[in-house]
Amino acid sequence: MEFVNPEGLRLDGRRPMEMRQLRAQIGAVAKADGSAVFEMGNTKVIAAVYGPREVQNRSQQINDQALVRCEYSMANFSTGDRRRKPKGDRRSTEISLVIRQAMEECILTNLMPRSQIDIYVQVLQADGGTRSACINAATLALADAGIPMRDLVTSCSAGFLNSTPLLDLNYVEDSAGGPDVTVGILPKLDKVTLLQMDAKLPIDTFENVMQLAVEGCKAIANYIREVLLENTKQLEYRRGL
Amino acid sequence: MVGLSLGEKHFIQGGIDQNLRSDGRKRDAYRPISIETGVIPQANGSARIRIGATEVIASVKAELGRPNALQPDKGKVAIFVDCSPVAEPMFEGRGGEELSAELSVALQRCLLGGKSGAGAGIDLSSLIVAEGKICWDLYIDGLVISSDGNLLDALGAAIKAALSNTGIPRVQVAAGASGDEQPEVDISDEEFMQFDTSGVPVIVTLTKVGRHYIVDATSEEESQMSSAVSVSISRKGQICGLSKRGSAGLDPSVISDMISVARHISEQLINKLDSEISAAEADEDEM
Repeated sequence: MEFVNPEGLRLDGRRPMEMRQLRAQIGAVAKADGSAVFEMGNTKVIAAVYGPREVQNRSQQINDQALVRCEYSMANFSTGDRRRKPKGDRRSTEISLVIRQAMEECILTNLMPRSQIDIYVQVLQADGGTRSACINAATLALADAGIPMRDLVTSCSAGFLNSTPLLDLNYVEDSAGGPDVTVGILPKLDKVTLLQMDAKLPIDTFENVMQLAVEGCKAIANYIREVLLENTKQLEYRRGL
Repeated sequence: MVGLSLGEKHFIQGGIDQNLRSDGRKRDAYRPISIETGVIPQANGSARIRIGATEVIASVKAELGRPNALQPDKGKVAIFVDCSPVAEPMFEGRGGEELSAELSVALQRCLLGGKSGAGAGIDLSSLIVAEGKICWDLYIDGLVISSDGNLLDALGAAIKAALSNTGIPRVQVAAGASGDEQPEVDISDEEFMQFDTSGVPVIVTLTKVGRHYIVDATSEEESQMSSAVSVSISRKGQICGLSKRGSAGLDPSVISDMISVARHISEQLINKLDSEISAAEADEDEM
């Protein structure tokens, strides 16, 4: 199948190095301590953060840092064909773990000993790149909850199809069988916290593809920073400052 | 989980006794309702509804299937509800399953009528494509995104909105198939059938706190309830389903009183929902 046509356009009309449209909204769940909706094209996820609060299960309490937990779930209607799947299948458990590890790294857990922070992400629409979208949504929700963090974590994926590196794969490109590199970075500290790839790639191509994904992460970080700034301005305005 | 002190409990109960609730509403007043349709592009129909801080999404997906042998002239509808942990940490893992099951069953009872499909709010015979052979199966999924009480009413309203947003592709059945053969079908990409949703009932839940009952209880108020009666009522004022929750017993005369109050309230609610739904549809068309 042809994923990049001779004019250099992808199936959904994007250029190879173009990202899907980003949209974010803070404060979607009224009762949560922090929440956000994050959209990358047709992928739409909602994240909510509860905490820091008392540890629910005493045996999990850590005496010198906060306990971070994460649960990922997909709505029944999120995929193309409707499917009823049991909660906590292997894929969601793995993604929960990936998100938890990425977020744990940037939260200053040592400031909140003997407490618990819960991150819940819910996929409303899945069109490729749910992993990245969930991490971006979780970052926004954590920031909205006012939880101290070292830096934002942002994530983006890139692939390699028709010998062209492609940024931010959608579902059709993702399931084409080519490599899918998902990267998560701390943009200010310039560090990679998450790196996953399937399929195979020559090393020199891999470097290009990964570099592309990192550029995508940086663009998302800029966008997230703008959204947060705008949100803070709104809050300031409402307080009458 | 709602943790309330003794003082807060008295405040809520006292307010309900005096017909002035904690958020300034009267006993029979709803919180502001807003509806958005077409929120899930992959579904045949979808809607998001907000009642105060409660937010739910309903989606309708249609698939071709075979009708039940006992009712060859009727399509099938299934309702599932999921409580997302985003709404409440309590719903984490399997924690939301009990509530999800309770809500799904209550919705099925209120909207789908009896086992035979008699008295259903949704006209099941309109789902038939070829009698005894092909019908549409409707899968209605509800998702609770933010929970602040009164989930059943919100889900009922969301499903009503999602159904009026639903377009089912028109199907041409190839002639010539005879006997037990499954006929060939041609699903149109352009022509869609709209549903008649005027018969879909709304659900009104009356929550009894102390000696009085209230509509549209918040989760704080629900934590103080002794029992609740959910009545589903169609536009014609017919009662399509009823369920009582909560452990406290109710006097039969109180129940019939509650039903007549619910009927009165449902008229206002149906009008409110209809105007919101048509406004939402108009908004969607503009985009």
